[in-house]
Amino acid sequence: MGGDTAAPSLRADYFDGRSARARPVRLWLEQDQLVVHDQDLATVERRYPVRQVLWPERTRHGRRQAQLPDGGVLTTQDAGAWDDWVLAATDGRGLGTGLAATWFSSWRHTAVALVAVVAVAAATWHWGVPAVADTVARHVPATIEQSIGDHALEQLEGFLLKPSRIPEAEQREWRQRFAMMVASQPDLPANYQLHFRDTGRALGPNAFALPGGHIVVTDELLKLLGDQPDAVLGVLAHELGHVREQHGMRLTMRATLVGALLGVAIGDFSSVLAGAPTILMNASYSRDFERAADAQARQLLIDSGRSPRSMLLLFERLGDWRREREAQAKQAAASEPKGVARDMRDAAKAGAGEMLRIAFSSHPADEERMRFFER
Amino acid sequence: MSQHQESAATGGLTGWPQSEFRKRKLDIRFTGSGSEYFRIWIVNLLLTIVTATLYWPFAKARRIRYFYANTLVDGHALTFHGDPWKMFRGHVLLMVLMGAYSAAGHFSPVAGLVAFGILALIWPALWRAGLQFRLGNTAWRGLRLGFNGSLKGAYAAFLPLWIGSGVILAAQAIGGPAGIAADGRPRFGVIEMTVLGAMLLAGLCTPWILTMIKRYQHRGYRIAGQQGELSMSTGSVYWLCLKAFGLSLLVAFATGLVMALVLGASAVVVKSKFVGLILAFVLGAAGYLVYFAVIGPFFTARFQNLLWNATTSQDLAFTSQLPLGPLVGLTLKNWLLTAVTLGLYRPFAVVHTTRLRLEAVSLTMDGDADAWVAGQASENPGAAGEFAGDFFGIDMGL
Repeated sequence: MGGDTAAPSLRADYFDGRSARARPVRLWLEQDQLVVHDQDLATVERRYPVRQVLWPERTRHGRRQAQLPDGGVLTTQDAGAWDDWVLAATDGRGLGTGLAATWFSSWRHTAVALVAVVAVAAATWHWGVPAVADTVARHVPATIEQSIGDHALEQLEGFLLKPSRIPEAEQREWRQRFAMMVASQPDLPANYQLHFRDTGRALGPNAFALPGGHIVVTDELLKLLGDQPDAVLGVLAHELGHVREQHGMRLTMRATLVGALLGVAIGDFSSVLAGAPTILMNASYSRDFERAADAQARQLLIDSGRSPRSMLLLFERLGDWRREREAQAKQAAASEPKGVARDMRDAAKAGAGEMLRIAFSSHPADEERMRFFER
Repeated sequence: MSQHQESAATGGLTGWPQSEFRKRKLDIRFTGSGSEYFRIWIVNLLLTIVTATLYWPFAKARRIRYFYANTLVDGHALTFHGDPWKMFRGHVLLMVLMGAYSAAGHFSPVAGLVAFGILALIWPALWRAGLQFRLGNTAWRGLRLGFNGSLKGAYAAFLPLWIGSGVILAAQAIGGPAGIAADGRPRFGVIEMTVLGAMLLAGLCTPWILTMIKRYQHRGYRIAGQQGELSMSTGSVYWLCLKAFGLSLLVAFATGLVMALVLGASAVVVKSKFVGLILAFVLGAAGYLVYFAVIGPFFTARFQNLLWNATTSQDLAFTSQLPLGPLVGLTLKNWLLTAVTLGLYRPFAVVHTTRLRLEAVSLTMDGDADAWVAGQASENPGAAGEFAGDFFGIDMGL
C-alpha cells in the first residue's frame, strides 16, 4: 500500500463487475483522485477521479456502495467506518452529499419539507389546478367539447332522463321566452340547446348544464314554478351562465387533473383512497362555479328587465318541496310493517339521502344565494 | 492467492473449484427503517412536486438505491446502477404516451380504440425493455443480473389479454356503449352478448395469462451463467384463484350473516332499530375492510410462495415461506394507520411489507458464488420500459 501517504485510508471490499469474488482493498484520496489499492496483488492500484465515482448517500441503515466508472463497486460491511473515513478524508465536507441528502438526514429539515409539501399541495389545489384546467378547457376545440357534451347527454338519456310529458306547444313557448330573454344581451354568446326531460322523482325539480351547451330542464321544475315564468327563466339563465363560462368543461378538466395528480401521489397504495378527495374536490370547486352562474343569471334578469328577486320564489318553493317530501317519507315509513328487510331499506334510503346531501353541498347554502338575489 | 489459482477458480473447465461442491442456504435480510424511508420519501415528494414531476426519475433512483442497499442476500447488498438521466427520458416518453392514451378515451370510442391499438402494439416491447433495464442495472456482488426474454415471447405472453380487451372495445366502438340503445332504454343484444362473453372469457383466462407472463419473466432472469427456470403449472394457479374466489364468497357471506344477526338482535334486545342500523353500518364497513385485508394478502402470500418455490436456475433454488397470518395483520394495520395519518404512514407501510415479503424468501446454492463470473455483456436497454412497468404497477416481487 502507499505507506508514504499520510491520507486516511479505509479497508473495503472491491467487486470488479466480472467476478463475484470480493477483493480486499485499501482506499484513500489523493487530491481529486480515489486510489483503490489491492491488498493481495501489491502491484495493482486503480485510480479514479473522485467526481466520476457515484458516492453513496449517507443513511442510518443500509450498506455503503460506491459505484466506479468502470462498473466496479466498493463496499464495506461497516457503514460507520465508511462515514468516518469519508469525513476524515475530505476534511468534513463529505462525498455524495446533495441537497436532498442534507435534507433527509435531519428531522428538522424533514418537518420543513412536510410543511412545504402540504403548502404546495394546498396552493396547487387552490390556484394551480384551476389555472391549468381552465387554460386547457379554453383551448379545447369546440367540436371536442361538443362531442363530450353529446356523449354525456347520451349516457344520461340511458338511465335518468325520459322524454318530457310537457306538451309540445308549451315547450315551444318556454323556448321562445328564453330566446327573447337571451336576446337582451346581444353581445354575449348564446350557443345553447334546451332539452325538456322527465326524470320522475330521481332529480325532482332541477336543471343542469352539460359541456357543449346542453341545458336540461326537468318537468318537475316547470310544474313547481310554471306559474312564475320569471323564476323559471332565472333558473335557465343560471344554467346559461354555466354554459357561457364553460363550467362543465372546466370541472371535467379539474377533476381529471386532480385525479391524475392523486394517482401519482398515492395511487399505487389504494385507488379507493385516491378517489375520495376527487368527490370532495367536485363539491368545493363547483360551489365557486355556482356563485359565478348566479352572478350571470342576476345580470341576465336585470338586462332583460326582470327583477332578480323573482329567483327568491325558487328557493322558497324548493324548501317547501323538500319538507313535503321528507314528511311523505316519514309517513310511508310509519305505515310499513317492521322487519329486517325494512331496516335494510331504511339504511339504503339513509345512504341515498347522504349522497343527496353531498350533491347539494355542491351548491352554496340557500340562504346565501337568496341574499345574493335580494340585493 | 496467486494469479494461477485465481484463473483456476474462475475459468476452469467446470467453472467450479473442485473441492467446493456443496449446498448452502442464502438468507435474505432487509434492514431498511420506516422512519428513515419516511424522511427520504417526504424530501423526494417535495422535490418531485416543485419540479412538476420532472424530479421523479431521480427520486425513484434514490428510493431503489435505498431499498437495494438494505437488501442483503447472504450478507451482500444489491446495487442499483440505473442512470436517472436515462430514466428521465423514459419518464417523459411514458408521460406523453399515457396522457395521449387517457385523453383519447375521453373523446370518442373510436379514438380510444385507436389509442388502445397503438398501446397494445408497443406495450409488450416497453414492458420487456423495463425488465431489461431493471435487471440489467441490478447487481449482486458486483455481478449484473440480466433479462433475456425474447421480444416474441413478450408479445405471446400478452396476446390473449389484448384479444379480449380488443373485442370488448371494438364491439362498443361499432355498436355504441353496451347496455344502452339509441332510444335510451336498456337492452340486451348482440353487442352486450359479445362484451359479456369476452369479459367472462377474459376472467376465465386470467390465471392462464398470469402463468404465461410469469413464466416468460422468470425464464428470462439471468445472473452470471445462471438462467432462470419456472416450473409453476397453470393448474396450480387456477387452483389458487379458485381458492381465493371461494374465500371471498365465504367472507362476503359471513359479513352478511353477522350484519343480519346484529340487526335482528338489536331489534329484539335494544328495541331500537337506530342502534342496530349504526351497528350494521359499522360492521359492514369493517367487513369491507376485512374483505380486502384478507383476500388481497391471501393471494399475495400464496402466489409469492407458489411462484418463487417453483423458481430455480442451474445452481440456485428459491424458497418462499410467506405466512398468511402476519401478512393479513400487517395489511390491516397499514391500511388503518395510512388512512388515519392521511397517507403519511405509507412509507412505513412499504418498508414493513417489503421486510416481511423479502425475508420470507431464501435461496439454496449448489456450489460457490465466489467462482461466479459475469456472462457476456448485455445490450444496454432503454429506460422507457422501466417506467412503463412502474406505471401499471408491474412488480417483480424480489
